[in-house]
Amino acid sequence: MEEQLAELAAKLAAVESKANVTNTMFAETFYYITIPLMILIHAGFLAYEMGASRTKNVLTSGVKNILAFAFIIPTFYFFGWWVYWGFPTGLTFSEGPAGISGAAYANAIAWGWGESAQYMGPNIVDQASGVFFGAFALFAATTASIMSGAVIERIQTVGFVILAVILGSFAWVVAAAWGWHADGWLVTQFGVHDFGAAGLVHAVAGFFALGVLIVLGPRIGKFNADGTANHIAGHNMPLTVTGLMLIIVGFWGFLMACVIVPGEAWSWFGDKPSTIYGTPITLSALSFNILMAIAGGIIGAWIWTKDPFWMMSGALAGIISCASGLDIYYPALAFIVAFSAGLILRPCADWLERRGIDDAVGAVTVHGTIGLYGVVMLGVFASGFPALQGVAGEAPTISFSGQVVGAVVFGLLGFVPGYISAFILNQLGMLRTPEAAEILGLDPTKVPAQGYPEGIPASLQPAE
Amino acid sequence: MGFPYESASWDVVDGAMFIGAGGAAPGLYTFVAAVICVVVLWKGNKSEHDCYAKVEK
Repeated sequence: MEEQLAELAAKLAAVESKANVTNTMFAETFYYITIPLMILIHAGFLAYEMGASRTKNVLTSGVKNILAFAFIIPTFYFFGWWVYWGFPTGLTFSEGPAGISGAAYANAIAWGWGESAQYMGPNIVDQASGVFFGAFALFAATTASIMSGAVIERIQTVGFVILAVILGSFAWVVAAAWGWHADGWLVTQFGVHDFGAAGLVHAVAGFFALGVLIVLGPRIGKFNADGTANHIAGHNMPLTVTGLMLIIVGFWGFLMACVIVPGEAWSWFGDKPSTIYGTPITLSALSFNILMAIAGGIIGAWIWTKDPFWMMSGALAGIISCASGLDIYYPALAFIVAFSAGLILRPCADWLERRGIDDAVGAVTVHGTIGLYGVVMLGVFASGFPALQGVAGEAPTISFSGQVVGAVVFGLLGFVPGYISAFILNQLGMLRTPEAAEILGLDPTKVPAQGYPEGIPASLQPAE
Repeated sequence: MGFPYESASWDVVDGAMFIGAGGAAPGLYTFVAAVICVVVLWKGNKSEHDCYAKVEK
């Protein structure tokens, strides 16, 4: 009998060991897959802003977008990852209630030197750090891409790369530490809930772009002497619209990466997935709500515009408007919120343009305005829902006022660094391209290649 | 540089398994990589401004 029991225990241990291996490999693969999916976001932004550029600037737009990606990854490795773990409790850098934040914790896991280097490179007993880093680095690249399209056709390449690094490896990371971390003070003190990063990625990036645009100024020929605006069409609308669709494909990876899988030492639960706040989420919830949000956004934008560019922007706006609550919206409510976002999209963009802001692709509106709209809308509909895993009465709850606080903080975390860093670069002569280069075209000025060597009809827009 | 474990066998590896693990090399590599980024931006900016200067003549 004892022998049989021992044999059974050994078999049970073997099965348990295999189950653990399977779960760990599943968890690692889950996040690994999100990385190429999120690279599709970058591919989409690349196509989107190259299509939105005139032929004389098309390759320059591509070069700066590619460089943004290339510089975000190492700088996020050098210091961005540390910021996420070091900043949650604010500028005290102290350890939060969950014990996974503060300078000491960040020093132990997120520097590329000393003892912490073991978590920043290949390690046979750590199958999580690299894929988490990869997913977050791609979130960072996404923020830089959002800003990238707004400033095309008149920003200097290196100046833009510096702005991209400030946004992607610092500004949004602070927002994530404060509002997208179990120890984040916006979460623990105000119950801010932003599951899919409507505020901390999209609004931060959108308002960062606004700060830059104010200093950068409009493209030559965009506005007439009386202040009225000219439409400067990109050279390839189909490329732009296809790019937007690619961004939407990539968003499935982005939102998938916002889920914490179960069963690992770092998981919230052994048996069920959760959000980054430890609240319940399923991929089915995402599937219901993302699809309904895409549809609502497209339909809302179609009503006013009948324009495929704005319809696909509406799809993005639909997802962004619901992103904060994709875990808890009812699908039909997600459709309604997204529809309203699609509806207000074009009027908001026109309002901004009437104030002399030349946002070449509508990024400030789609990501900034709609991002904040989404954060606030969750406060309207989800008040009273627990914002964080915890005991009733102790866990913070979602509230309208809390979401408004979050929206204001996210907006400022984007706008202030964007404006200040653009102002400094402008003073250094590193922001705006010279007028002669802008009129000639940035490709013939500084790119040793041609976008269309066999030619397509030349630009017939103002200020050629 | 050498294998970072006493015995040159993967059987004994129970943690970091990259070149330079456990020493000062990762910090040095990180520093050099960061310097490369800064120098490339500096050089890139100079080259970009040379292009602008040609157009402005």
